[in-house]
Amino acid sequence: MKRRAEHEAGYVLHTYPYKETSLIVEAFTRRFGRVAMLARGARRPRSAMRGVLLSFHPLRLSWSAPAELGNLISAEWSGGLRPLAGRGLMCGFYVNELVLRLLPRDDPHEVLFDSYGETLSRLAGDGPFASVLRGFEKRLLAELGYAPLLDRDAASGAPIDPEARYVYEPDRGPMPVRNSHSNDLLVSGRTLLDVAADDYARPETRDEARTLLRALIGERLHGQVLHTRTVLKELNDL
Amino acid sequence: MAKDSLPASKGLERLVEALRVLPGVGPRSAQRMAYHLLQHDRAGADQLAQALAGALSTVRRCARCHNFTEEEVCALCRSPRRDASLLCVVETPADLAVVEQTLSYSGMYFVLMGRLSPLDGVGARDIGLDRLLARATDGEVQEVILATNFTNEGEATAHYIAEMLRARDIKVSRIARGVPLGGELEYVDAGTISQALLDRRNI
Repeated sequence: MKRRAEHEAGYVLHTYPYKETSLIVEAFTRRFGRVAMLARGARRPRSAMRGVLLSFHPLRLSWSAPAELGNLISAEWSGGLRPLAGRGLMCGFYVNELVLRLLPRDDPHEVLFDSYGETLSRLAGDGPFASVLRGFEKRLLAELGYAPLLDRDAASGAPIDPEARYVYEPDRGPMPVRNSHSNDLLVSGRTLLDVAADDYARPETRDEARTLLRALIGERLHGQVLHTRTVLKELNDL
Repeated sequence: MAKDSLPASKGLERLVEALRVLPGVGPRSAQRMAYHLLQHDRAGADQLAQALAGALSTVRRCARCHNFTEEEVCALCRSPRRDASLLCVVETPADLAVVEQTLSYSGMYFVLMGRLSPLDGVGARDIGLDRLLARATDGEVQEVILATNFTNEGEATAHYIAEMLRARDIKVSRIARGVPLGGELEYVDAGTISQALLDRRNI
C-alpha cells in the first residue's frame, strides 16, 4: 500500500539510532495512530530534524509509506506545549512506554491521541501527577477494548457498595470477597467508585487505584517488563 | 564473478567479521579493509593489532572522573592547576573535550559514559550515579555543574542528579541554553527560541 501523509499532527514516542546517521522514529499521530518511520540523516550534525524530533512536543509530520517502515520527509515544530521537566518528564517517559507497548501499529485512535496531548499538558504543570497517570491508563485500556468494570459487581450486576470490599478479577471485574487468597487483588468499593468518577482526592484511592491499574495494565503486557518502572525504582533507591 | 563464490579462509572470514564491530562498517567495507591489511599493508596490520591489544589491556577508567586513562587517576584529575571545588558532569568523553576546548572552564569533570534512558532501560547504575554521588560528596567539591545534553534523556539525567545532590546540600547548577552565540533569531529553530523565552533572565 502506497500512501503519503502530509503535515499530520503527531508526537515522537521514541527514537532509535539506525546506521551511522539515521534514526528510526516511533511516532503517535492523530489520523494514522502509531507509525514507525525512518528519518534519513537525522543524526547528522547539521540535520534540520535535529532538535525537532524530540518527544513530548506537538509536531507536524510528513512521510511516505511504501512499506511498513515509512520515510520521514519533514518534521515541523507546532509548539504550544510547555516542555516537560523533572518528575513530569519521568511520567512522560512512562506514558510513552505504555503507548509503545500496548498500542498496535497503524491503528488510529483519535480519542486516545487527544487524551495523550491533554495528559502531556497536565504533566507539564506542577503535579501531583497520580491522577493524570491513572486517567491516562484508564483511557488507554478503554481504547484497547478493555475498559475496566468499575460500577457493578461482575457476579450479580448489583451496584458497587462503597462500604464493601471486592476481589478484582482482571478478566471479569469486581467480585464479592469469598474465601480470599493472598494474591487476590483486593479493592474497596469506595475506590472503584472514585476511579469511575476520576476522583483521586483520597490517599487510599490513589494507592489502591495505582495497584489496580498496574494489575490491569500488566494483564495486557503479557509478561513484558516496563523499563521506565524499573529505572524509576532504581533512582528512588539512590 | 560473485563475491560469495570466493573460497574464503577461516582467518580471513574471522577478520572480516571482527572489523564489522566498527560503527558504519558493513560487510562490504569490512572485506575491503581486510584485503587491504593482508595484501598491501601487513606492517600496518601488525601495528593495528598491537595498538588494539595494548589499549585494551592498559586503557581503563579514571577512578575520579571515569574518563579513559592509563593510570589509576588521570592527568587532569591530578593537575594542581585545576579548581577542585568545581565538578562538571558530562555524558561522554567527546563532551568533555568540547568543554575543554572553550578554555573557559578550569574545574574537574565526571564523565557518565551515557545518560538515563528510561525507555531503553538505561538506569542509574548504568551511568554510575552512585560513584558520582561519592565523588561529589568527598568534601572538596563545592559546586556541581550539570552539562548533560538538552534532550529529554539529558534533562532527566540532570534532574535526578540535581535532586540527589540537593538532598545532600551540595550546590548544583545547570548550563544555560538558548539562542547560540552569533545566532540571528530569524534563522534559529522555533523550539530553541521557545526555550529561550522560557529561560529568559533579568538584566
